[in-house]
Amino acid sequence: MKQLACVITAVVLAAATQPASAHHSFAAQYDAKQHVALKGVVTKVEWTNPHARFYIDEKNDQGEVTSWNFEMASPNVLLRNGWKRTSLKIGDQVTVTGYLARVGPPAGPKMAIAESLTAADGTKMFASTATDLSR
Amino acid sequence: MMLVTVMPLGAQTRLGGSIRANPPSGPVPRLPDGKPDMTGVWLGGLPVGDISTALPKGETMPIRPEWKKKMDAFQATDDPQAHCLPLPPPRFTPYPWRMVVTPAHTFFLYEMYDWRQVFMDGRKHPTGDDLDPTWKGHSVGRWEGDTLIIDTVGYNDKTWFDNKGWPHSDQLHLVERYTRTDLGTMKVEMTIDDPVAYTRPFTVTGQARLMPKEELVEYICDENNQDAPYLQGAKP
Repeated sequence: MKQLACVITAVVLAAATQPASAHHSFAAQYDAKQHVALKGVVTKVEWTNPHARFYIDEKNDQGEVTSWNFEMASPNVLLRNGWKRTSLKIGDQVTVTGYLARVGPPAGPKMAIAESLTAADGTKMFASTATDLSR
Repeated sequence: MMLVTVMPLGAQTRLGGSIRANPPSGPVPRLPDGKPDMTGVWLGGLPVGDISTALPKGETMPIRPEWKKKMDAFQATDDPQAHCLPLPPPRFTPYPWRMVVTPAHTFFLYEMYDWRQVFMDGRKHPTGDDLDPTWKGHSVGRWEGDTLIIDTVGYNDKTWFDNKGWPHSDQLHLVERYTRTDLGTMKVEMTIDDPVAYTRPFTVTGQARLMPKEELVEYICDENNQDAPYLQGAKP
């Protein structure tokens, strides 16, 4: 059931993202069937176009670290959805959900798109293009 | 203290308006010479995803079979947008654009990527070897009543009409008609005539809405384009 809910969410996200997406389509780069949910520490923030990105290190129970590269919307969309360039800082603890890239770089952090981003204090931060300027 | 750290989820324009507010209503603002004042930051125009949805009801895109075949073969990575290349009309983006009309020129400033210049001084298009194929073509404009008409030729064949990838040849002739129908609304009508790729001219219609208290944000697409090498599969 949980899996079904996940798939439904993915389909809804993909459908919602598509019409509003700028730069590239969701489906061309990300796999709606590979949902990810994790906690980690921010190691880098790129306030850049065509997408802002943040990088996090996720540590598992054995102390092994996995590095992630999460795509967000572009800075213009983030600014219009409550962000400042300094809203996310190196060292911040965050909870992220999103979708894995179909194909990512062969080495380095795993590439994914952020669907939701929650700060350590529970603040939900706008993350990607699903609800950008389109109404 | 907690409140201070909470990031507002509200969606605001750069100068404090709401990006999701309905456009303002009221009469068309006019310049001292009586012409409509087109100035403003606008959002929308034609559908970003598929301009065929802006055809008159019941019509389909009169594309020639060989061009449809070419379109069907497009991959996601063939989209000029994925490589930060220009997206001139009839293509629109989900981001705002500003229109500035002066006696000599009309300028379009598109937040996503680019600008356009339209000559308003009565000149004609260059012809023959003087007309270089370009991404945005050569545009001349004139008023017809309250409608600003822009005529463009001299395109290359590298741009798409939308995310779906409706293509065109370098023989594209585009006629854009912009009519501010009230304070907050701009009617956008475009007639596409490309005898190489389409069997007849056709017209698509949409509208843009004014975004009060908005200004354009810099968007330098090339600075960190990590996506292009990883786009997979056919276009939607």
